[in-house]
Amino acid sequence: MKKFIYTIGLAVFSVILMALAPQESTKLITKTGHINFFSHTEVEDISADNYQVSSTLEKTTGAIVVVAPMQSFEFEKAMMQKHYNSPKFLDTKQFPKAKFKGTISNLADIKFDNNGTYPAKVEGTLTMHGVSKEIMNEGSITVKDGKVTVNTKMNIVLADFNVVFESGKPSTSIAKTVEATINITY
Amino acid sequence: MNKFIKWGLILLACGVVLGVSAYTIIMFTPHRDVQATPTDFKISAKTLVHETLDDAIASNAKYLEEDGNSKIIEVTGTVAAVNEDMNKQKTILLKEEGEGAGVNCTFTLNTNAKVEEVHVGDKVTIKGLFKSGAEFDEDMEEYLDVNLSKCDIIK
Repeated sequence: MKKFIYTIGLAVFSVILMALAPQESTKLITKTGHINFFSHTEVEDISADNYQVSSTLEKTTGAIVVVAPMQSFEFEKAMMQKHYNSPKFLDTKQFPKAKFKGTISNLADIKFDNNGTYPAKVEGTLTMHGVSKEIMNEGSITVKDGKVTVNTKMNIVLADFNVVFESGKPSTSIAKTVEATINITY
Repeated sequence: MNKFIKWGLILLACGVVLGVSAYTIIMFTPHRDVQATPTDFKISAKTLVHETLDDAIASNAKYLEEDGNSKIIEVTGTVAAVNEDMNKQKTILLKEEGEGAGVNCTFTLNTNAKVEEVHVGDKVTIKGLFKSGAEFDEDMEEYLDVNLSKCDIIK
């Protein structure tokens, strides 16, 4: 009888200990991700960087969310930055944040517990300038000593997001398709 | 005729000089020096967070400008975290205990040094450029902080 009570007591104690032990969160979070926009035309190259990007990645479901404050993109030239923010371009006062909400479709291929670089496929919705568009993209996820980094490049057709220049300098100096490079370490 | 050509050439030269000067001024005007520009608002971190959380449309109208030269703010609060972004710029999170969101202040390579003297728990006043307000993102199930950039510690 004493042995039975001892065994039950030990089991209950073990369960309590397990419940109290710190659980590793499966959701990765950062608020210092980086996105670069690059536009190439024969007239000029334009580049802008944003280091205030927030993102979450849920390791168990592959759900990924990326939010970029649009006024945090910094250009080399002040005039370019003004054009970019203006109502004629991305109207960042009215649409202050861009958001991607998606899922890693090949989650089973990514070993979050093992160091390595894994190809990743992402599907989801990009909302920018008040327009939402379904996108599919490929990139990589690197795991190194517990740190997880997402890298991807995607081409964004500005007209898909109602950003169109018919005339003037922007129509020749800004590419119709810009390249976004995303680098997020959680 | 010679006189006409002479004056024509002079006018043409003046036009070219004016055009090149105007283009140079417009294209190479430097970015606004945030720290040398007068402050628009002085506010506590807690009040700024709640103002933007409670009414995003009103706060965006108040703090954001169409050309990106948005309001310059002096914000006072408690240092909750000191970090560095992917561009080696220091960041300070001002956040009061019990609050969901805070104010994320990104410094520059020129103002980074002052952050070395700051520790978690210190009360500081930081001047910076407003970039975005706080919100609760339902997809992330996380609070997003107010973002300021080109920051420096002034008190």
